[in-house]
Amino acid sequence: MSNSTAKLIFWIGTLISLALFLMLTIDTSRRFAALTHADKLDDQVVRGKRAFEKRNCNDCHTILGFGSYFAPDLTRTYVRIGEYAIIRRLQQPEVAFAADFRKMPQQHLAEKEISDIVVYLQWVSNIENHDWPPQDSQTRWKNSTDRLLAAAALSPGAALIQQENCLACHTLGSRGDSKGPRLEWIGTRRNSAWISDYLADPQKLAPGSLMPDYARLAPGQRQMMGEFIVAAGRGR
Amino acid sequence: MRYRTQSIAYPYFVIALLLFALQVIVGLWLAVQYFVTIPQAFVNIFPFSTARALHTNLLVLWLLLGFMGATYYLVPDETGTDIAWPKLAYAQLVLLVLTGVAAMVGFIFGWTQGKPLLEIPTPLDFLVVIGALMFLANVGITMIRARRWTAIQGSLLGGLVFLAVMYLFGMPFYRNLAEDWYYWWWVIHLWVEGAWELIAAALTAFILIQMTGVDRKVVEKWLYVELGLFLFTGIAGTGHHYYWLGAPKYWLWVGGFFSALEPLPILLMVVDAFRDIRDRATTIHPRLTWIYLIGMVVLHLIGAGLFGFAHTLPQINYYTHGSQVTVSHGHLSFYGAYVLLNLTFFYFAIPRIRGFSNGDYDQKTGKLAFGLATSGMIGMGLAFGAAGILQTYLERILGQPYMIAQQPIRFWMAVVAVHGLMMVAGTILIVKHLLTLKPAVMEPRKKMAEMIPAVE
Repeated sequence: MSNSTAKLIFWIGTLISLALFLMLTIDTSRRFAALTHADKLDDQVVRGKRAFEKRNCNDCHTILGFGSYFAPDLTRTYVRIGEYAIIRRLQQPEVAFAADFRKMPQQHLAEKEISDIVVYLQWVSNIENHDWPPQDSQTRWKNSTDRLLAAAALSPGAALIQQENCLACHTLGSRGDSKGPRLEWIGTRRNSAWISDYLADPQKLAPGSLMPDYARLAPGQRQMMGEFIVAAGRGR
Repeated sequence: MRYRTQSIAYPYFVIALLLFALQVIVGLWLAVQYFVTIPQAFVNIFPFSTARALHTNLLVLWLLLGFMGATYYLVPDETGTDIAWPKLAYAQLVLLVLTGVAAMVGFIFGWTQGKPLLEIPTPLDFLVVIGALMFLANVGITMIRARRWTAIQGSLLGGLVFLAVMYLFGMPFYRNLAEDWYYWWWVIHLWVEGAWELIAAALTAFILIQMTGVDRKVVEKWLYVELGLFLFTGIAGTGHHYYWLGAPKYWLWVGGFFSALEPLPILLMVVDAFRDIRDRATTIHPRLTWIYLIGMVVLHLIGAGLFGFAHTLPQINYYTHGSQVTVSHGHLSFYGAYVLLNLTFFYFAIPRIRGFSNGDYDQKTGKLAFGLATSGMIGMGLAFGAAGILQTYLERILGQPYMIAQQPIRFWMAVVAVHGLMMVAGTILIVKHLLTLKPAVMEPRKKMAEMIPAVE
């Protein structure tokens, strides 16, 4: 190979790659608005992003998979654990993680900062990113829970969850609301006895929780609800 | 050392080495936090996030100071002239070090831009830009005045300008998170797989020419091909970071295709280095510098090339993205590609700046230090890898919640910490060895003529 051929390889290789990259960058910037639902990106979301950066959250957590790997990914946190659980973790991390082997710093956030961060995480959870991360994949949650519900139509636990209107706050499969954590997620973390105790007195196991108590239900009923939730977690 | 101003490099190297030692000590503390429960009261004051910001920024700062020092050493040799403004070069060092210290102290008190790796707040960013402009002006003027262009100078100056320009994309506040990460990678990826590779290729070619005495024409010809391949695969290869951030689907194709080719230029670099060593016109000497050079090209290929390739395809990356697998690749590639590059250059240049005859020096503790640091780092890379594969399986495939999946990973992070301890010990020895380098002790069988002490 001669020196001039080598130079030619350098220029052709560099320019082709650069031209392709810049073209795709132009196209991507045009399509970001639709893919990230930029119409919902209002000033409160931006304030939330600023608060998130001010507290250096991203040097423990990942978001969209980027950042540090010391704490859970926050991309779909809003749909996974819901509004109340996020608020509780931000307000009183020392209580929320009292039993955990890894702690989150108490940063003394103002009420307004907390609600901004919640709105920010809600906006992030709607970014269309080819269904990443896999553990929070909406399709996987939905499919597995649909299968379970189809098989458990007569399950007394499922009937009690309907009767007590749990899905007014929690999500199950593709239904429900994001105020509380997703039921399948609870099911992967807890056993039925814990859930039964929690239903009787949420404040005892999670001080400051916004969950109402279900002490009026019989222990057997609470146990059946717990078993159903654990089964939903395993169904994935 | 043929030019007086080459000695500007020395204070750059000294500060770089001290920051390196600090960086790995903070790194060890990060690993400990993965398997030991730190009390809430301590976490409130000095959380993981602060230590991590220190660890990564110290890395970037010392590597860049090393590159700058290396540039000040290389440019006079290549251009045949002294550096144009030596005082400006010292002023630049003072400015950058003060900015760095302000940034580190700021992090501890919570002054941060909050973007991983680019935490330095905007006012300090401007000081960094001023420092970079002082540097580029000094190097640029020296080269332009000399008018003796070589491919090595071109690659080096191109890489440095590219580096400085890309830094600007990390400075603004972006309202949209997806867009924020899109341009964040223009700094991070286009640095390590673009600009820094240009600098690395130039520095490596320079050392090879100086130490092997092979024909410059041959080295420079292959340098063009290497650079062409680096930029061809590296620029569009940025796409492998765009899979899951809310960008269109075609990035899965573009990123997958170009980054699958990314090991090729590194492989060529290894082949070139071994060919130059085979065709050398001089003896292999001093041995330790060679160990570093070969260690660098080989670990560059393994850490950056193979470990990067392993999880670059979208089908795999869907599961491994944002896990300890990334950490494994990050550590091995930074060590192989850029830490060892800097250390190779230090071992090449410091004896010459200090005026040791033939660039020779006493290697005794140096070999032990290299062995400790390198085996420590390889052990860490493998343990991070094991942790990452476990995390991928438990969290991404089985769907376990993050903290439950972290429980069994604590063991592997303890393994990381043990190897981290080796790395810290090795690093402290390397720093001590380089800062207190002594002329070689001649073996008795050597001729008296060789024993004339080198004085400059």
